[in-house]
Amino acid sequence: MSVVLTWIVFLPMLFAGILGLFRVRHTVLRAGAMLSALLVLALTLLTVVQFDPQAEGMQFVRHLPWIFQYGITYYLGLDSLSLVILLVIALLMPLLYLYMWDNPTSGYWYNMLLLQTGVTGAVLALDMVLFYLFYETMLLPIFIMIGRYGHDWNHAHAMKILLFTVLGSMAMLFAILYLGYAHYNFYGNWSFAWHDLARLPLDPQTATWLAAGFLLAFAIKIPLLGFHTWMAAAYASAPTPALVILSAIMAKLGIYGLWRFGYGIFAKVLHLYEPILLALSLVGMLYYAIHAITQNDLRRMFAYSSGSHLSLIALGVVLANLYAWSGSLYLIATHALASAGIFLMIGLIHQRTDTVQIDALGGIASVAPRFAFFFTFFALSIAGVPGTGGFVAELLIIIGAFSVHPWLGAATATTMLAAMLFVFWMLQRTLFGAPAPSVATFADLSRRETVMLTPLVLLLLITGIAPSLFTPIFTPQVQEMLLQFIHAAGGAS
Amino acid sequence: MSSSLPSLIVLLPFFGAGVMGFVYLFVPAGRNLRRFYVAVGIGTPLLAALLGLIVVGEMLTLPASASIASPLYSWIAIGSFEIDVAFVVDRLSAVMLLVVTLVGSLIHIYAVGYMWDDQGFGKFFAYFNFFLGAMLLLVLANNPILLFIGWELVGLASYLLIGFYHHDTANITAANKAFLLNRVGDFGFVSGLGLLFALQKQSGFDFAAIFAGLGGIDTAMLSLIGLLLFVGAMGKSAQIPLYVWLPDAMAGPTPVSALIHAATMVTAGVYMVARFAPLYNRIPDVGLFIAGIGAASALLAALFASWQNDIKKILAYSTMSQLGYMLIAVGLGEYSNGIFHLAAHAFFKALLFMGAGAVIIALHHEQDIFKMGGLGSRLPAVRRTMLVATLAITGIPIFAGFFSKDAILSYAFASGHTTIWAIGVVVAFLTAYYMFRLYFVVFVAPNHRSSRSRQSPSLTSLPRSMVWPLFVLAAGSIFLGFWNLPEAYGGSTWFSHELHLADHEAHLRFAKEYILDGFNVLVALLGIAIAYRKFVRPSHPLNAPIHRIAWQRALANTLYIDTLYDRLIVRPLRGISNWQDRLIDPKIIDGSLRGLVTLYRGVATQSARLQNGNLRWYALTFLLGVSGISLYLLIAIGGAS
Repeated sequence: MSVVLTWIVFLPMLFAGILGLFRVRHTVLRAGAMLSALLVLALTLLTVVQFDPQAEGMQFVRHLPWIFQYGITYYLGLDSLSLVILLVIALLMPLLYLYMWDNPTSGYWYNMLLLQTGVTGAVLALDMVLFYLFYETMLLPIFIMIGRYGHDWNHAHAMKILLFTVLGSMAMLFAILYLGYAHYNFYGNWSFAWHDLARLPLDPQTATWLAAGFLLAFAIKIPLLGFHTWMAAAYASAPTPALVILSAIMAKLGIYGLWRFGYGIFAKVLHLYEPILLALSLVGMLYYAIHAITQNDLRRMFAYSSGSHLSLIALGVVLANLYAWSGSLYLIATHALASAGIFLMIGLIHQRTDTVQIDALGGIASVAPRFAFFFTFFALSIAGVPGTGGFVAELLIIIGAFSVHPWLGAATATTMLAAMLFVFWMLQRTLFGAPAPSVATFADLSRRETVMLTPLVLLLLITGIAPSLFTPIFTPQVQEMLLQFIHAAGGAS
Repeated sequence: MSSSLPSLIVLLPFFGAGVMGFVYLFVPAGRNLRRFYVAVGIGTPLLAALLGLIVVGEMLTLPASASIASPLYSWIAIGSFEIDVAFVVDRLSAVMLLVVTLVGSLIHIYAVGYMWDDQGFGKFFAYFNFFLGAMLLLVLANNPILLFIGWELVGLASYLLIGFYHHDTANITAANKAFLLNRVGDFGFVSGLGLLFALQKQSGFDFAAIFAGLGGIDTAMLSLIGLLLFVGAMGKSAQIPLYVWLPDAMAGPTPVSALIHAATMVTAGVYMVARFAPLYNRIPDVGLFIAGIGAASALLAALFASWQNDIKKILAYSTMSQLGYMLIAVGLGEYSNGIFHLAAHAFFKALLFMGAGAVIIALHHEQDIFKMGGLGSRLPAVRRTMLVATLAITGIPIFAGFFSKDAILSYAFASGHTTIWAIGVVVAFLTAYYMFRLYFVVFVAPNHRSSRSRQSPSLTSLPRSMVWPLFVLAAGSIFLGFWNLPEAYGGSTWFSHELHLADHEAHLRFAKEYILDGFNVLVALLGIAIAYRKFVRPSHPLNAPIHRIAWQRALANTLYIDTLYDRLIVRPLRGISNWQDRLIDPKIIDGSLRGLVTLYRGVATQSARLQNGNLRWYALTFLLGVSGISLYLLIAIGGAS
């Protein structure tokens, strides 16, 4: 069983290699890509079934030596935190391939295959150097896709996202290397395994600086307020499948990093950063939502919407109690589903009308009722309407905040208003009113498109109606992580 | 005891909504599906009503404090946050269950006729059933989280139905406004729940567990919780300051106004306060605040209603005003009076809306009462039933409103809240005036306009399904009052007694009660007389009033509250948003980063200038370097030795 994660990570890359070697036709390429995505999904579901929520620590661990001299290892493993994100990736990929089905540009398909390996690897890697490698390589397909297949100033915007995130990861790389060296200094051998690094008896000042390196990388990736100016640009230019990965998965990896490595390695000094993180995520949540109100480009609007929700997730992580952490983890999954749905549908609007400018749209509901229904559903899911998974997650984070302090709770509860500010006005101008000239020939959802969107709708409904089906998978380990964090943080004082 | 019937009652309408929605979206149009929609759309509420009657009948055989539980499954269980999807029928939710399913069924039947020619017939019934399910979820929930889910879902249904005619952007604006203002209220509500949960020391978060653990929370915090929960009620029950959505909500089809914005959803705030009676009984100051908000809203709404010309807006403000009465009742701790007025109001207000809808349909979607006139002889069934409802809301003896409203007012008087009582009486006067103004102008006064401009406009004949529900509701509006006949009139307040709520007690001597009630009736008759004088025997020809005086204009424009909200909230938010887009992000954040880049480039360019290939320049720097190092060596090393 321990090789299953290796297969999950490298299967898409393997397919890309084989398909590329034979320079296959579009029809074979897309079938191959879909096959790889479905195989990964099957393997992922297998791990979910085999996963033991009650067990402590990492499961399905694969830990092999790689570069002896420097203690760098091939180290994959998974706990409930990574499992949730892995599951989201595996679920979304087949749907994205369905979206791209008729796109004949083969470079597009190869990039997507490589992208899957990149993001999956980053979620499963437990050796910091390996993590860094995946964390960087997943950016390259995105960079290429924005640059080659994107729109609206795509070259400049591809450069912007690359420079911003590389700046962050450089700081992280430095911190990682320093940690490995510190391990050598203390114990006489190099190691980059995260659990070894978490045990290092660093003096607080050094740890503070190293934590800053990590936090900078993750703050840019999420992005937290002030580190976000690449976000709207990249979202506006990215082609739809890349955009879905960007919003549904890559941004979550920033949260994942903060959670796994920020809280896992730097528990002792993190309290120094907590007020800053708290302020940035709380203010960011509202700042982004307000910014979204007047955006005329749908992709930009939901870029800010995404930023608002990611700030909420980050807030939940910073609050560090059982409810908030469970809520954040739940929101990672449900927001991925909802934002995937909305961005896919924005892509469909683009395909049909050649525009995503709100003022050029209007009246879609009159010509395409099914489209309007799905679009409204995803928009309302983003707004966290009960009956969808987002509501459960937001409720848990709000309750977690109230458990910390009433004022913090009330401030967090404003998230109920945040998405409202732009979602309904947007719906009014895109779906309702008299049909605009651009939507006169707007086709309703085709069968393929309906098949693509229905799993997202069903999952959002099930996560909202019966969260008890999902929470037992992760709550025991979240509780465990929390205890470890409190223990480690308490050790310092 | 437990039973699966309550769960079934809640699930039935959701199921109907799902089936109809699926058929509407995925079965190709063109086939005539109306029969199917009618069967499912009416079948589920009727079945729910039938099951509701069975459950309530069963419950009446149990002792008053007993309830019928209906657990379904565990919704979530994290730490001590354990929430079940479980329903409970006790005396309070039984009343709501009957009101929602019975009045709901009648309005569904009425809607068949009203919506028959509409393109979106199936969609309408899908939404309508969805609303019914959500409302039942709200009233039957056994814990506040589930209640809140129903609370939000009825808001969603309301949003969808207000914006039902989505070609007109104005309707969507109204729908957005309703959802936004309700969400502002819900923000308060969820904060109240969060705070309650954080302070709750007992495990479990259903109503029984919460009420058992209230003693462990200090009063200041309880007051805060009570206030926050009530903020939710302000939104849902359209009270000051969150009421402005209700009049606009009339953009929806009239059956929607009758069911959602009169009989059921808007009363959820009253129900919520009654549900949390054990909490509010501990914080009488907050209760007084609630009563104050109710009284102020009742008065304001009655004033607005007296100056409106749109038949549905008059009724909308009237609803807000009557909700004010109910909140006076529950705020002062007379929960069963509040709930009784809620039930009676559901009947006569639904009837008023449905009558108004019949008039609107008959006149091809005319809503201005001053363009109607003299319809009495041509729509006799509508006129008679409307008259019954008008008498009921005015509080004329033997009609339901007389008993339900006067009970509230005499309690307010008996418990010493004379200011609230006085406001209530003024509102009763205004109610009589504006309701009879509506009735007289629409049905009695001769139609000046039509006799002048066009010869009696053609009337659409009304389908039967739109007429006979009116008679059922009229019967309710007449006889419902006898269920709660006060002792002063030889009754035993059976309803209040059976409701078994934690009411405060305050009694009046019978003589005093007769005087108070007589006074109320006189005041109402005065209002009717003035309306008669102004609109049936007018000194000059009857026309839509033109408001020349500033205060009249202000009232007709409902004090410009909408404009105020727009100026204070909407525009500033958009302003900030633009400002972020144009200033903060590009100039300040990106600008400072660009500054770094420029600095870096500047340094690089300056450094590059040093490498200019000029030999004398190199010699000079070489010389400077060597002399610098020599100087350093001389001072640092030479000095040390």
